[in-house]
Amino acid sequence: MRAFGYTIAGSPAEAVRIAARIPNSTFVAGGTDLLNRMRDGAESHEHLVDVNGLDLDDVSADSGTLHIGALARMRQVAEHPTVRREFPVVAEALLASASPQVRNMAAIGGNLLQRTRCGYFRDAHAACNKRVPGSGCSALEGHNRSHAILGGSDHCIATHPSDLAVALTALDATVHLLGPDGERSVPISEFYLLPGSTPERETPMRPGELITRVDVPRTSVTARSRYLKLRDRATFEFAVVSVAAALRNRGRVVQDVRLAFGGVGTRPWRDTRVEAALRGRPLSRHTIARAGRTLVRDAKPYEGNEFKVELVQRALESVLGALGDVR
Amino acid sequence: MTRLVGRGVPRVDGRAKVTGAARYAADNEIAGVLHGFLVMSTIARGEVREIDPSAALAHPGVVAVYTHADMRTLTVPGFPYNRTFIPMQDTRVHYSGQPVAYVVAETLEQAQEAANLVRVRYRAEPPVARLADAPDEPFLPEGFRADQPTETVRGDAATALEQAEVRLERTYGSPMQHHNPIEPHTTTAVWDGETVTLHESTQGVVFTRNVVSAVFGLPPADVRVVSQYLGGGFGAKGPVYPHTLLTVEVARLARRPVKLVLSRAQMYTSNGHRSEFRNHVRLGATRRGTLTAVIGTSTAQVTRTDERTFNTNDSAVNLYACPNIHVRQLGVRLDLPTSGYMRSPETTAHFGLETAMDELSYEIGIDPVQLRMRNLRPTDPQNGRHTASRHLPACYRMAANAFGWKWRNPLPGTTRDGDEYIGWGMATETHSHNAIRSTVALTIGLDGRATLRTATQDIGTGTYTVLTQVAADELGMPLGQVTTLLGDTAFPDASLSAGSSTVPSVVGPVADAAQGARDRVIALATTDPRSPLHGVPAEDVDTEGGRLFARGDRHRSDSYRDVLTRHGRPVETRSHVENTRGHSFGAVFVEVRVQPRLGTVRVSRVAAAYDLGRVLNHRTARGQVIGGVTWGIGFALMEHTAVDPNTARVVNPNLSTYLVPVSADTPSVDVAFVDQPDSGSNALGARGFGETPGTGVPAAIGNAIYHATGRRIRDVPFTQDKLL
Ligand SMILES: Cc1cc2nc3c(=O)[nH]c(=O)nc-3n(C[C@H](O)[C@H](O)[C@H](O)COP(=O)(O)OP(=O)(O)OC[C@H]3O[C@@H](n4cnc5c(N)ncnc54)[C@H](O)[C@@H]3O)c2cc1C
Ligand code: SF4
Repeated sequence: MRAFGYTIAGSPAEAVRIAARIPNSTFVAGGTDLLNRMRDGAESHEHLVDVNGLDLDDVSADSGTLHIGALARMRQVAEHPTVRREFPVVAEALLASASPQVRNMAAIGGNLLQRTRCGYFRDAHAACNKRVPGSGCSALEGHNRSHAILGGSDHCIATHPSDLAVALTALDATVHLLGPDGERSVPISEFYLLPGSTPERETPMRPGELITRVDVPRTSVTARSRYLKLRDRATFEFAVVSVAAALRNRGRVVQDVRLAFGGVGTRPWRDTRVEAALRGRPLSRHTIARAGRTLVRDAKPYEGNEFKVELVQRALESVLGALGDVR
Repeated sequence: MTRLVGRGVPRVDGRAKVTGAARYAADNEIAGVLHGFLVMSTIARGEVREIDPSAALAHPGVVAVYTHADMRTLTVPGFPYNRTFIPMQDTRVHYSGQPVAYVVAETLEQAQEAANLVRVRYRAEPPVARLADAPDEPFLPEGFRADQPTETVRGDAATALEQAEVRLERTYGSPMQHHNPIEPHTTTAVWDGETVTLHESTQGVVFTRNVVSAVFGLPPADVRVVSQYLGGGFGAKGPVYPHTLLTVEVARLARRPVKLVLSRAQMYTSNGHRSEFRNHVRLGATRRGTLTAVIGTSTAQVTRTDERTFNTNDSAVNLYACPNIHVRQLGVRLDLPTSGYMRSPETTAHFGLETAMDELSYEIGIDPVQLRMRNLRPTDPQNGRHTASRHLPACYRMAANAFGWKWRNPLPGTTRDGDEYIGWGMATETHSHNAIRSTVALTIGLDGRATLRTATQDIGTGTYTVLTQVAADELGMPLGQVTTLLGDTAFPDASLSAGSSTVPSVVGPVADAAQGARDRVIALATTDPRSPLHGVPAEDVDTEGGRLFARGDRHRSDSYRDVLTRHGRPVETRSHVENTRGHSFGAVFVEVRVQPRLGTVRVSRVAAAYDLGRVLNHRTARGQVIGGVTWGIGFALMEHTAVDPNTARVVNPNLSTYLVPVSADTPSVDVAFVDQPDSGSNALGARGFGETPGTGVPAAIGNAIYHATGRRIRDVPFTQDKLL
């Protein structure tokens, strides 16, 4: 790890000012991902701006919206009574993430900006377009079990690892940013970019921009929502495949449904065609299977992750079956 | 009159460990120490063309960057050095992650950063990383240890198989795995004139001393190796590896002490691994289930420079009573580091045998326990003793009862709980253990306290505790009156802590030295007119609680302390007793819950029973079972090192992507011991045990998955993709 400068920011404005002024600087919250990246040599930064002291750790709800401060800790959000009761998919996604120790340290902004666990990305000596643009993608013909079947390109097929981002994608959250040019907000559907030919660009964030908060609209589906995570050990492991689902039905008929998928896409994966295949139809094994086929229609599997094509459909069947009580 | 041996005595070093008082090898603070960091090759095969250290040398605090150009020619030692070359002696690169330069700096951070700044140019050749990709056919290597032949023949297995009423032929596989002890490897080398002291994380201080002495041409007495505590070794710290030798040489060149701690990632190429493994098993049996032929051909990785294999197919040769056996261990040359021993190396092949036995039980239509009972072996083929597996039937019975095996419906795929299918499986547990000549010195000081010194070590298994128990009992002292000192070659040579050999090798001499010391003190008392025991026949004196008593007249007594004080000099004894090698045994039963639609497997129950001869300490023995079963679960469900097929680099060299079980993967284990002394072992009837538990677990889990679902998976780990 390279030596780096370090400032503790006293206010969001100051944090943004410093980060915008010093080239190759970045923010550090819990440090649970950033420091590992720096230690592994996947990244190096001249300067870190510590944002842990900022007054951005509030979690609150009003009639229409859940507001999650960017510096609220994963554990704090997962245990918040309103989140647990009215946005269970968010609480479940967080509780299924990492370990209690990591959840105590890690903040929501850092969680959304954690970077891929692709082993080649984190090995400073492997070819990786995301780390060194133009160097090639080792995963295409290497180990790609944890990689994406949806949204990939010839340049990169890495998955985004955040569970929370999957839940927030299903619920149409909005990410609020503060930058040198002031505030703006980005819908989560536009927050994660497809790799295309520039896999090093992962979000539309500009230099110096800070996540200040995430807003989650309360809708008629949020309260009946669930997160199913399949993984290679019981806890403390990223998703092989995950599904965030929220459902409202009348009788058997689906009034509204929101679905997002983890472990299968180069970004938290949402495909409204899948939801459209269910909306207004009775929830049954048959309609769920059709929705699943819609999801994987454009899937491009590789040697190590071909099983995900089938597994993600079964995961969808399992989570909707349970939510909708389909026997 | 045993009071301590056999009890679950808590660890004597427990307090030091939980309070941080215990000093591990890297905890030393040596004045003037330099910190080392290795620059590792980034190609797997080829040549170093050029090393440019200028940027590194310009970094603050950097003292030197050493390369092959700076090194003397060193003598390549034989086993237990586990390479056929010493890196940084020439420019050849044999595997990715081979040391090519060694940076020393005033701080660790400076050394690490400078290592990043060393520019190395290579000429690369394409490597071969997987068994399946090797261009050449597997071949039969010579084997490098006489006691671990690569081929064993008994009877005529080919003919017996051909004539067998029932035949089974299957191939089983397992991936490369790494030990991942929580404490990284570390060496601090301190030269003083022509002598050198090493603070080393090692499972064998004597091994390390012998290797260093051979490489540097030093008399053994001029090399001291210290390793008081070890944060796990699992075989990774048994043999001696290049980083130790390089540190000794670099400290000499730098004329200052040098401390090296490997990074976690470096531990994936620096200290061996369990080789990727294929095991082709053919069984022949009668219709009643008596084995008539066992043919096992396994294939493991070797390298272009050596032919060493480490996962002997021991149970195929030794476990069941089959007259016709042909076992071969083949090798395939890959551009990887030489593999090595990893906890319970025999598990690797045993997984195939015990799965094949389960498959055979279905083929024949008998209970898998019954099948094993029909093939019991009356003697231990290794030493001819009649006692070795005598209690294996008791293990099957005890574990089966604890588990509730008799309620099992043998039909696969019939027991459900909601979406989950429940399956039960079992396997035999067994592993060989070694016995290594060991010497022990015991001193009773004027204060009446006993101190035991021996150059074995406690690798976390409880050796300090067990040896203290044994000495205290034989002396008739309370536990606290005996101090055990280990892990220092200043003490008499003793066993390596590997191959389950510590207890069988060291307990005998400890007991003998303690008995000798006790007898000497009794003689001093009974011949000293000042002692209340004067004139009592020595054989009529008992010892207990640090005191000496006349049997039948407890009022006539003396104490160790008073006897020694009057004597005015310490009493010292020394002993070495040799033990024989052997096997320990057990049975393990597991329950799994499988969601076949999603491919998830959970181990929900484990019951196991063992015969390890006499149990010296139930608590530490149970600890070995919990550890071994947890390893078995990891082996079965998740552990694997991913090696890139194109570059032969490890892709998951860290604990967040190399998965080992967490608590939620590991149910509590119902453990029972037969606990009958083995009269053939002079370690108070105890045999080596550490590596026995867990050996059967991967097969038992696979067998349970088959029972749950009717799906037979023959390659570990049993991940979701294979179960869908
Ligand atoms: C062993 C392990 C297992 C894990 N398992 C899971 C898992 O199963 N599921 C899962 O979802 N996650 C998992 N994680 C990842 C974990 O959730 C993230 O490391 C964590 O959420 C990051 O938060 P942090 O506050 O520590 O971020 P940091 O490491 O401090 O920062 C991460 C990134 O976010 C940037 N950043 C931080 N805050 C802001 C902000 N307010 N504005 C702009 N940029 C910001 C930083 O510059 C950096 O690039 C695991 C992590 C580990 C170490
Ligand atoms: S998948 Fe993406 S992150 Fe992984 S090696 Fe390829 S380019 Fe790099």
